[in-house]
Amino acid sequence: MGKRLMGALTLALAFAAGAGATPLNIVATTSDIADLAKAVAGEHAVVSSICTGTEDPHYLTAKPGFIARARTADLWIAVGLELESAWELPVLNGSRNRHVQPGTDGYLDLSKSVELLDVPQGPLSRAMGDVHPGGNPHYWLDPLNGRRMAEAIAERLARLRPDLAGEFYANLAQFRNALDERMFGAKALQGAKAETLWKRHARGEEIPNLGGWAAQLAPRRGQGLVTYHKSWIYFANRFGLRVVGELEPQPGIPPTAAHLAKLVATMKAEQVDLILQEPFYSTKAAERVSAATGARVVVAANSVGGRPEATDYLALLDRIVAELSKE
Amino acid sequence: MFSKRYWLGLPLAAALFVAPARAQTADSAAETPDPFLNLKAFNPDVSAIVDMFYYDENSDEGMGHVAGEIAGFGHAHAAGEGEEHHHHAADKGFNLRHLELQFSGTVDPYFKATAIAAIDLDDAEMEVAEIETTGLPFGLKVKGGKFFSDFGYLNAQHSHEWDFVDQPLIYQLALGSHGLNDKGVQVSWLAPTPFYLLAGVEAFQGDNEQAFAYHGDGELPEDDGPRVGVGWLKIGPNLPGNHGLQFGAFAATGTHQEEHDGDGDGTTDHWLDGDTSFWGADAVYKYNSPQSYGQGDFALQAEYFSRKKDLDLVAHDLAPHLVGNSRIDEQDGYYVQATYGFLPRWRAGLRWEQVGLTNESELPSGETEDFGSSDRASAMIDFTPSHFSRLRLQANQGSYETAEGTEDVTEVYVQWMVSLGAHGAHNF
Repeated sequence: MGKRLMGALTLALAFAAGAGATPLNIVATTSDIADLAKAVAGEHAVVSSICTGTEDPHYLTAKPGFIARARTADLWIAVGLELESAWELPVLNGSRNRHVQPGTDGYLDLSKSVELLDVPQGPLSRAMGDVHPGGNPHYWLDPLNGRRMAEAIAERLARLRPDLAGEFYANLAQFRNALDERMFGAKALQGAKAETLWKRHARGEEIPNLGGWAAQLAPRRGQGLVTYHKSWIYFANRFGLRVVGELEPQPGIPPTAAHLAKLVATMKAEQVDLILQEPFYSTKAAERVSAATGARVVVAANSVGGRPEATDYLALLDRIVAELSKE
Repeated sequence: MFSKRYWLGLPLAAALFVAPARAQTADSAAETPDPFLNLKAFNPDVSAIVDMFYYDENSDEGMGHVAGEIAGFGHAHAAGEGEEHHHHAADKGFNLRHLELQFSGTVDPYFKATAIAAIDLDDAEMEVAEIETTGLPFGLKVKGGKFFSDFGYLNAQHSHEWDFVDQPLIYQLALGSHGLNDKGVQVSWLAPTPFYLLAGVEAFQGDNEQAFAYHGDGELPEDDGPRVGVGWLKIGPNLPGNHGLQFGAFAATGTHQEEHDGDGDGTTDHWLDGDTSFWGADAVYKYNSPQSYGQGDFALQAEYFSRKKDLDLVAHDLAPHLVGNSRIDEQDGYYVQATYGFLPRWRAGLRWEQVGLTNESELPSGETEDFGSSDRASAMIDFTPSHFSRLRLQANQGSYETAEGTEDVTEVYVQWMVSLGAHGAHNF
């Protein structure tokens, strides 16, 4: 009995000491990144996210629990572009974890790997409101950026654990296929390579046997919509929707009566029939504008977990597309 | 507040400084990467806090006098400042709090540093000049220079981070208007626990407004520094979702010397030497609402601390027979405050505080004195137009126990402050 126990213990220790035995500890700042990291890392990582998806990442505070989590992280993945600047550095600095400080391999800023929009040109002033000098940080809502984010995560994981690189890339391929299929439908993918489809779709070309999100939103191409915050431009850009204005007069400044009146006029002139906003904003302003214009108000989560149905990244986009394509 | 962003200073400065150079090589400039871009990244973040307020109160001789006379705490003057010394208080009418000019940045792979100059209308003070390590193993960090002690919750916060215009009475009475901010060294350790557990020890020179310090005239040889030792512990249990909680406990002790003018004739006549200790606890709970612009956010915080001064009468020109006897003062105090975001960008807050629940002095003559407590209730409403500006209205109603009896004072503040430039994010 004693010998057997010793044997088991020795075996357990040998496993624990061997490379590959301990899963990577990944901490993502948002639930969207966490979901992509889970898809790519598979069983080789424990992934958690700081934001739950129900709150606005601009307005979090550096809680002690965040510091405790960053302390043991092997990889910290952030949206970047100052989305997390209210709390990220105090958390990383407070964690005393040398492996995840900005500039190290354990710190991954995904904004470096995606295509950015709204990068301010010319002199900036805070009189413009809460502008992000590096570009608009809500890039994960473009499914092609989601694809690029997953690629960047796979590359970084492979660098941290070269022994598992093959598995990470296999997981990535699986995720990419699932994403491409949701985007274009299985039939369209039989006729052309995914990369080609993304390019053709971006140019607005006809794609034979088109299904998926691209087909669902095709009827809305070129049509206008109004959003609450400037957080939907990547999504709109991917599907050819036109963001005509925001309920916020300036980023980070709540709607004012004067601004809404102007917006109503614009919406009437441009025949905008849709207002899109996140659940964490009050719907009062949207309802007011809706009453004046007859536009439909869609409240959709912009992050995984923001709504119970948005269980993962693909479900999140499923949901947004379904809501917007309703007539 | 000002909890975000430290971005704009650099790009703006960049645009200003680079524009002329660009103009000269207009044709090629568009293609060439900005040669100064990387250098600019090495500039420290620079920010300034401009903080003004209007103040009014209805005490007989001024709030500074009242605070200086609060029973039991009144004997606390640092030596050399005379018995008529008044506590630092706001003027009726317009006040400008010192301009907080902050520089911070990463020094090299091993250290980061922050320097804050507090500039007043007629003088300037080095408020913070701290260096801290960034690369020590085992969860360790060492901080040195002049800095705010991390004991308790409010001590390490700068005045622009406070939820009320003024600091709680117990801080002001026990440690003076700057709290415990001194030259020294801190070693802290983040424990390898699944929850947050941070422990720290600090050694300070002991140049505090209300305790530890002595600027003597020779009758009492000044103790060598470091004169103060501090230890603290912070625990943050893991709460689900949008809840944050932190508990703290702390203790400090240091040598303490005083000189006094007992008969008020303008010359120092008795000298005391011994030590001061304080201990206490703090708790903070924050709820981050799923709504935007801070609406629905709730914060509750409380701190208690108890202080004991244990001094010996070393010399007394008027009553030499008392020399060798001791004087022991024990005082305490607490505050509890809550803030709630009742509308987007609007918060309301309430604060209740008491000092002197324990309030005993054992005099060199052998007599003991037992004083009553003072209390104060405060209410505030503030509006935060953006991350960088805030307006606040605050009213205090206090009932203060002084040698002259109980005095009720009403105070009103209207505050207006902004953060200019690149200001780093704040801690929990």
